[in-house]
Amino acid sequence: MIRRVLAGFLLLVCGALPVSAQPSTLIPTEAWSAFMQRFVDASGRVVDTANGGISHSEGQGYGMLLAYLAGDRSNFERIWSFTRTELLIRDDGLAAWRWDPNSTPHVTDVNAASDGDLLIAYALARAGAAWNQQSYIEAARRSARAVGRKLLVTDGNRLVLLPGVSGFSSSDRPDGPILNLSYWIFETFPVMAQLAPEFKWADAANAGLELLSIAQLGPARLPPDWISAPASKPVTVAEGFPPVFGYNSLRISLYLLRAGIENTALQEPFRRSWLIEGGGTPAVVDIPTGRVLARLTDPGYRMLASVLACALNATPIPEDLRRFEPTLYYPSTLYLLGWALVAERYPRCL
Amino acid sequence: MSLKRAILLIMLGGAVVPAIGQQIELPGTGDSTNKTARPKVDETALRYFASQGDTRRLEAEIARLRALYPDWSPPDDLFGPQTDVELQRMWKLYAEGKYSDVRSAIATRQAADPSWKAPPDLLARLTEAENRRQLVNASDAEQWATVLRLATDAPGLLTCTNVDILWRVAEAFVKTEQTPRALDAYTYVLTNCNDPGERLATVQKAMPLLTDEQIENLLKLERKDEAGKPEFAALRDDLIRRRMGHAAENPEYTVPDEDIKRMEALARQSTTPGDPLLLGWYLFRHDEATRALEWFKLALDRKGGPKSAEGYVLALNFLGRSLEAEPIAFEWRDSAPENNKAYLDVVIALLTADPPPVLDEIVLSRFSPVVMRDKYVPGAQALGWYAYNTGQIVTSQSWFDTALNWDPNDEPSAYGLSLTYWRLGDIARLNAMVQSWGPRSERIVALVDPVVRARLEARNAQTTTQIDPHIDPLGAAAARLTPVPSLMPPPIGTPPMGLRSGAGQFAQIPTAGQFQPIPQAGTAPLAYRGAPYQAQNPLATGQFQPLPGATAQPYAGAQPYAGAQPSYAAADYVPAPRRRPVARSVARTGSTVETAAAGGGGGGAAVARGWRMMDLDRPMEAVRAFDQAIAAGGRAAEDAAYGKSLAYLRMGMTNKAQAAALEAPQNPRRAVQLSGDLLAQRALAAYKDQRYVETIIALDERSRIAPEQQDLMVLRAWAYYQIRDIRSAQRIFRALQAQGNSEGANGMAAIDALTRKYRT
Repeated sequence: MIRRVLAGFLLLVCGALPVSAQPSTLIPTEAWSAFMQRFVDASGRVVDTANGGISHSEGQGYGMLLAYLAGDRSNFERIWSFTRTELLIRDDGLAAWRWDPNSTPHVTDVNAASDGDLLIAYALARAGAAWNQQSYIEAARRSARAVGRKLLVTDGNRLVLLPGVSGFSSSDRPDGPILNLSYWIFETFPVMAQLAPEFKWADAANAGLELLSIAQLGPARLPPDWISAPASKPVTVAEGFPPVFGYNSLRISLYLLRAGIENTALQEPFRRSWLIEGGGTPAVVDIPTGRVLARLTDPGYRMLASVLACALNATPIPEDLRRFEPTLYYPSTLYLLGWALVAERYPRCL
Repeated sequence: MSLKRAILLIMLGGAVVPAIGQQIELPGTGDSTNKTARPKVDETALRYFASQGDTRRLEAEIARLRALYPDWSPPDDLFGPQTDVELQRMWKLYAEGKYSDVRSAIATRQAADPSWKAPPDLLARLTEAENRRQLVNASDAEQWATVLRLATDAPGLLTCTNVDILWRVAEAFVKTEQTPRALDAYTYVLTNCNDPGERLATVQKAMPLLTDEQIENLLKLERKDEAGKPEFAALRDDLIRRRMGHAAENPEYTVPDEDIKRMEALARQSTTPGDPLLLGWYLFRHDEATRALEWFKLALDRKGGPKSAEGYVLALNFLGRSLEAEPIAFEWRDSAPENNKAYLDVVIALLTADPPPVLDEIVLSRFSPVVMRDKYVPGAQALGWYAYNTGQIVTSQSWFDTALNWDPNDEPSAYGLSLTYWRLGDIARLNAMVQSWGPRSERIVALVDPVVRARLEARNAQTTTQIDPHIDPLGAAAARLTPVPSLMPPPIGTPPMGLRSGAGQFAQIPTAGQFQPIPQAGTAPLAYRGAPYQAQNPLATGQFQPLPGATAQPYAGAQPYAGAQPSYAAADYVPAPRRRPVARSVARTGSTVETAAAGGGGGGAAVARGWRMMDLDRPMEAVRAFDQAIAAGGRAAEDAAYGKSLAYLRMGMTNKAQAAALEAPQNPRRAVQLSGDLLAQRALAAYKDQRYVETIIALDERSRIAPEQQDLMVLRAWAYYQIRDIRSAQRIFRALQAQGNSEGANGMAAIDALTRKYRT
């Protein structure tokens, strides 16, 4: 299996940064406008409407990626301007992860979150290539190097992606490293490898896939949001975090598909939970018992299940999911990312 | 301006990117090529400001362009119609600080018209504005390397128009250990920038970051204002505050006297607590607690908060005025950890004072729960010593026991516990303690082994070092009770008084007839009927004991009555009203009998009047006389407080008696006498309230510090009778009978009646 994954990865590396590909059609203009109107303010701040209106590096990265996928250079600039001036302030070149409109100074936690940096670097790299903006590529390279330097860490035999700079590694915690497998945004790794070839991005991606195959825990065999993965010890649910397959991990299925990793074994728990048991509705699942804690009926979450059904069985996207209605920031983001994937790779489902 | 900029650039460049000076072309530096070809000047901003009628910005922009391009002059058609409306809009957004909107607008236009390029001036100023924002954010987040990188990337920021940025850059230099460069930045501002407010603020910003010497160097750049006054005069006071604050934190440093004088003047002038508080701490840390106290008090009065309260409490405590400190310490104890510590220290100082003061019940009743809640071993230990030193051996025992439960390896608690076993003659438990602590505590062994005791004593005699009760009150308390070679029990905090003389000279207040207990409940002794006795007296009751059952410990074993007690065997015991030798009192006050008797206004005279009233058994009037003497102060006050206390005791007002005793410090001997009187009073009140066990406990406690005369033996016997400890009661009644005391026969008769009743 690993070999197949690796082969897929290499394929991706070669096919990355499609300079000529103009992706302006992947997200319909009206859907993107609705997203902009609801979740992005004039300063370019992507607002997490479910979390007290704060912003974070992940949200800014998503916003930039979606703007690129919608072909909206103007708002890409807008979001990037905010991201650069407000979050890219760390000495190590990473983005501060948390920005609160109700605090002064606004950055209330200067720690970094690796998925945010990956998204920002990735969006910059793709936009820079597509729109021939060298300054984007340069900024992407700086972020990619910072991630490589600070967040890619060898732990035992694995090259892991730490969720943040401090508090997660095996030197920070006896049960470390503490990892979040949904921070491995697989489609970004080949691009990172082009930006910062001095780091072993392929090894890190493969470590993520390996951990994903190991971390199928509990009766539902779903990956927990937060795992403890000490070298040469079994992977377990991380102490101090809710032992759930929740809002973090549910992205993994989409990330695998977006990266073109067609690994049915890794998708199987998602398929079982979402398509067979949930009838197309994902759920938050308690890892120890396998019990469903909450069904997630927001269109954005159901879109994840529909994308999976489309990829596995060519099932058409249901009618009620064909129109984008912004709800909350997070599921709306996932919806548009899912839509863009279907539009690009599985047009037959539309 | 350009020269200044160049200087700063080189300065920054040296710090961050050595080649920066070469990388950036400095305008107007005399390069001849600039003069020949008229430069292409971007006038879009200029035109925008003109179109808006924004003359302030317009003038600034003209000045800027002239500085950049000396040969340039403003165009004639500045106020003519504008052609590029979109660009106008971009400048408008820029002027409004909407940089993301400008970026967005530029991108929109470029997407629509790939041949269009944004004016370089707009881009440069946009980048500079964004960098400035980013720099401020990085500085707020203490990302100093980012601050310096941005400053290097955008040296245009580093001018007098952006003093805030210069301050932040200077701070970043200090935080990255490049203080000389920070000094350069501050020097740059003070040399080149002219805004008086900003100049003042520059030194203020520098103060927390630089040393006194470095600040002094900056102050050399001081200018005089229009009135000829040095512009940083106000800062010199801040510098004094800062020096004093530093020396308050680090007592090895001192400040010159004129600094203190100046601060005192400032503290008096102001109405805020800051300066008095600072003075308080400085003086307190430099062994001037008396002066410090005054300033802490002022700070506290000005609502100076927990720090003021802490200082005030510590200073009082240091000055031996712990009793005054206690209520304030208690009030503030939850405001900060330091305040809690101060409270605990104060109470421990009180509990371990030598001699033990008579403490108000409230002191103990609110301290005990704190100790219990926190399982605070030193607190339990201090309560143990206090109980021990006031003769409450059983109470003491349970506190030491509690402390040892919380910390089984605490030697002082083990020693205290062992002492109580020794005092109570509980040989079995004492031996068990010696068994388990022998290897770890020589002084515990010394309690049972004369050889060890002698050795320990010899060594103690050699060591001259005394434990400072300020630093280690508990250690000092324990050390006072180190075993002595004789096999007598160790002193209980105060020198034991001679049995006979004590009983004779200071006979107890209650006369035998007055508190003769009556077996029937409800018929209180006449003299005490209606006396406002309050039951919550910590010395007698178990309320400050840690364990609910502690009072129920077997008092019978405390001091067996079987052995003949010299005190109550004494035939010459006179249970008469207290009579204090006036001559002695007068001698101590330094005046003569004659002057005292003359009833003059002096303290000594008032004392004499008080004693006379006592002789006439008019205690209420005696209290008034003693009050006068107390108000007069001096040595007479001590006597007067004692007298007042006795007067209240005579009226059966125990609590008032206690309070009066504290109005002036008492010598140890008197403290013991008063404690004895108070305990007797308490025993009586407890009996009256039918709390017989407490009666016996109070009597037990009293018997540690004073012999038990016949009247109290009568009380004790009736208390035993009431709790149906017939054997004990019988033993005492029999002894009383043998001494010809009629209560002995009464008691024996009562016992006969009772036992008959039970037999039938």
